[in-house]
Amino acid sequence: MPVDAALIEAHIPGLRRFASALHRGDRERADDLVQDCLERALSRWQSRRPDGDLRGWLYTILYNRFLTDQQRQKRRGIHGELAEAVESDRLVVKGGQEAALEHRDLLRAFAVLPEEQRSVLVLVGVEDLSYDEAARVLGVPIGTVMSRLSRGRERLRQLLNKDVEPSGEKPRNIE
Amino acid sequence: MSAASDAVDEQELSAYLDGQLPPDRAAAVEGYLAAHPEVQARLRQYAQQQQELRAAWVAQSGGPVPSRLRVARLEAALRGRLYQRLTAAAAAVLLFAAGGIGGWIARDPGGRLALLMPGGGSGAAAHTFTSDAIEAYRVFSVEVRHPVEVDAEHEAHLVQWLSKRLGRPLVVPDLTKLGYQLMGGRLLPSESGPAAQLMYEDGKGSRLTAYYEPVGFGGATEFRYRESDGIGTFYWSEEGFGYAIAGKADRDRLLKAAEIVYQQISASGGDKNPKLPGKAS
Repeated sequence: MPVDAALIEAHIPGLRRFASALHRGDRERADDLVQDCLERALSRWQSRRPDGDLRGWLYTILYNRFLTDQQRQKRRGIHGELAEAVESDRLVVKGGQEAALEHRDLLRAFAVLPEEQRSVLVLVGVEDLSYDEAARVLGVPIGTVMSRLSRGRERLRQLLNKDVEPSGEKPRNIE
Repeated sequence: MSAASDAVDEQELSAYLDGQLPPDRAAAVEGYLAAHPEVQARLRQYAQQQQELRAAWVAQSGGPVPSRLRVARLEAALRGRLYQRLTAAAAAVLLFAAGGIGGWIARDPGGRLALLMPGGGSGAAAHTFTSDAIEAYRVFSVEVRHPVEVDAEHEAHLVQWLSKRLGRPLVVPDLTKLGYQLMGGRLLPSESGPAAQLMYEDGKGSRLTAYYEPVGFGGATEFRYRESDGIGTFYWSEEGFGYAIAGKADRDRLLKAAEIVYQQISASGGDKNPKLPGKAS
């Protein structure tokens, strides 16, 4: 089965958003992740189920790749989530766009959320995956998707209501 | 409505927002919200932040897709890397066999070293070309699951695709007379540009490939033969294009295949002056 470039490319904007959410708005790293994901997808194209859900398959590859990278970083002694969270303030704004500035408070609060909450909020809320699809991408039960979603929404709301000061409390990822 | 169905939990509120509740539970949530305005306000906030998140994300990740994420480009790079890796491994094994010298000759711009080669005079280009054909055979003929990129079932697509990439109408020879069935083909990188490999298999699982690369190596059209580590190839060049029939079959059978391929390419109009040098047909 030959690779259908157009079919894959239709999902690239979504993959970039998902990757960007995982990397807290660091577009360079997000695109690295997407590139990694696409390379993997292409090299495994033959083994994919032709009738399967292409989008879910791509998102799953991307997410697994992300987790692998995180684990590797941890082994190298970088405290992945925490180190990233400290950086996140800078990163989100580094995105540089007016768009990023316009939504700065929200993006900043979002970046404070733990990865598992960011993932579901983007997959369900932005990419419109069903709970079932999101559960398959993340490799967790539907109930977990639902609880992460409601906790993520509530946490985001609290952060926004507090109107967090940019240099205020250190971002922490303790649930 | 009973008290039990009135009880609504946080997850159901979220699911209500996402429109992922069954109708009876959605009705229960609505009933609950009507009775709890503070929860309704909170839910409205969720909806707002969700909306803003979507806007922020769409805005942030908008813009053109960078070229490094183009599928065609990644595909080409991937093929190149795979091919290089596999040929590098094969080359290492062959370092002191024919491949070792061949590697040097391929890098010899003046082609001086080619004169040292048995049957030399064809120059470095021919040597590089046959090395490509032989390595491609060596790498892919042992593949059980993915011997080809596009299989024979999609021959029309195969022809169209490879013709487009190689920039000339590609002929897929019919070798059934010799007992070989087309398995399919693949696109390969080469120093001269995109190359193509067609793979055939006979009833006994023996494989043979036709390899096309956009490279001419001068001289009159004639069949030449080269063998490397058990893989033989008859090859020739015509109108700026190189053709090689490679396989582990015996020399006579390979020559017959080469003749058939030559004739079929000529018959397709590629050659104005069809003749079979070195062998009367």
